[in-house]
Amino acid sequence: MNIYSVAYKNLLRKKIRSSLTAGGIALSAWVLVTLLGFNRGYENGLNRDIDNLGFQVLLTAKGCPYEAATLMLKGGTGLRYIKEDMVKAVTANPEVEKVTPMLMQGVFDPNKGENGAVAAYLGVDALTFPEMKKYLEFKEGAWFKDNKAYEAVLGYEAAELEQREVGDKLLIPGINAEVTVVGVLKRSGTQDDGTIFLPIGTVQSLFSKKGQLTALGIKVKKDTDIDAFENRLYDLPDVQVVSLAQVKSTIMGLVASAKAIVMALAFIAVLIAMAGVINTILMSVMERTPEIGIIKSMGAMPLDVFKMIWTETAILCAAGGLAGIFLSLLTAKLSEAAIRHFLPYTPNGALIASDWRIAATALLVIIAGGLLSGLYPAWRASRVRPLEAIRTEGN
Amino acid sequence: MRKIIVFIFLLASSAVAFAAVGCDLNDPDRDIARLFPGSSGYKTVYLSIKTLGGEQLLERVESRLGDKFQGLFETIDVPYTLYEVYKSKVIIGYVHGVNQKGDYGGIQVFLAMGTNGLIKSFYIQRLTSKAAKELRSKQFGAQFAGLSLKDFKDYSPVTGKINATSPLSSIKNPSPGSGKDFEHVLRAVKKNLILMDEFVYSKGAK
Repeated sequence: MNIYSVAYKNLLRKKIRSSLTAGGIALSAWVLVTLLGFNRGYENGLNRDIDNLGFQVLLTAKGCPYEAATLMLKGGTGLRYIKEDMVKAVTANPEVEKVTPMLMQGVFDPNKGENGAVAAYLGVDALTFPEMKKYLEFKEGAWFKDNKAYEAVLGYEAAELEQREVGDKLLIPGINAEVTVVGVLKRSGTQDDGTIFLPIGTVQSLFSKKGQLTALGIKVKKDTDIDAFENRLYDLPDVQVVSLAQVKSTIMGLVASAKAIVMALAFIAVLIAMAGVINTILMSVMERTPEIGIIKSMGAMPLDVFKMIWTETAILCAAGGLAGIFLSLLTAKLSEAAIRHFLPYTPNGALIASDWRIAATALLVIIAGGLLSGLYPAWRASRVRPLEAIRTEGN
Repeated sequence: MRKIIVFIFLLASSAVAFAAVGCDLNDPDRDIARLFPGSSGYKTVYLSIKTLGGEQLLERVESRLGDKFQGLFETIDVPYTLYEVYKSKVIIGYVHGVNQKGDYGGIQVFLAMGTNGLIKSFYIQRLTSKAAKELRSKQFGAQFAGLSLKDFKDYSPVTGKINATSPLSSIKNPSPGSGKDFEHVLRAVKKNLILMDEFVYSKGAK
């Protein structure tokens, strides 16, 4: 019989105690894997969302870069605009690869729900916008070819909600304009899924906004110093520059603060599990002091006893850790749903991106923590004096 | 910088605003209390033709409707949300909505029904139409109160014609010449009543 099977059988002697300790370790492993997976998933999702916007810099009118917020609060009436000739001024910069103009407009539709709601339309350039958003694929149809066509392309969810297919008509409430649906996009997992795209010229004409834009999407050339480029953009009159790289770093900064708190909680969970391990193994050692005395009197060296107790700890931690990892992978979707419910903003795509590397890291942390916890009980067991131990049992 | 973050959040959340694709009440707590003033609560049940009877049920529903389910929005696996309305522990009625393709957009027609299968009230939650104001008016909706599935038996959504002797003949198109959304609403009501009959009223008989 080797040392591993002795250690394993020792654990089985107190099944409930061993199971509860392993359960505690499993819970801490579950928390650890889920949080590590969340950190990675959130960052990946955020990167993907920003990359999927197709441009790195957004130029808007000074003082009101928040079209979406304004649309929600005031419909189309509170928006501020930049002039269309800004496109030429921006394109003249050597760092610029592509520019796409956008005009967002909204109308209040009293026939949506009990109290009405704002219906928003995004006017985009038929030539440059599809070029910048190459990842968008069509379920049916295609982009409009003419910037003045009375046509619409619907995101996947917008089409489902409006129950529109290619060839159907779409009514813009308030101004009672009819446009024909020429394309329905496949689900992209981005904000484009819920967007109704119209040709920019059509939006300018329908809403009497000739020569006006709400935003310019700018894609810069590779290896461009975006900070320097942004500073130069501020030389243009009355514009606000929104750098998505900056937005990303700001959000990640906020997330990092929350992450620090959450990781502290995970650390506490691991500490509690370690305390449980120390308690269980130490109790086991104390109960088995006479038995350890007999083993030593039969020739076992202190190192043998140390190894036996330490192996028990390792088995307990490995079993609990593996169970916790399995549990976290099993409940990833559930955890994701809970996180999405509680967080005000979550990026699209998988929010918990656990993989074998995260699982291996968590297992290593748990086993290392467990072995650290097992040091004292194992040392104490190795120090047992055979005669004193046997005498204690006699008494 | 905080404002920029809010902007991005809102930009991203615009997708969420369109995410609810089923036919659920926008605000069930408020809407159920309004449709059933004496109610004390409700339970939400999710149903689909696929799980309740599959192809056979779909064929029966289409046969009773007198029209085929069409397009991507009337498939066998469309989820239907049924609100069972309670007063204490007793069911006093149901609220059920269906999606219907209209001339210019999706129409969501909800019926509040008593346990006897009669329409208690009619509510168009969502409608994009040139006749939206008229079709969503209280006067138009009030005409459906007291009707049941048998009143729609002879109504054909394909022809859109209403017999002069039918109880439906009293329901007039409030905006003739504004397209076919009046007919679409009637089709939605008939479809809703048939589904309610299959899901609730005749469930035990089959």
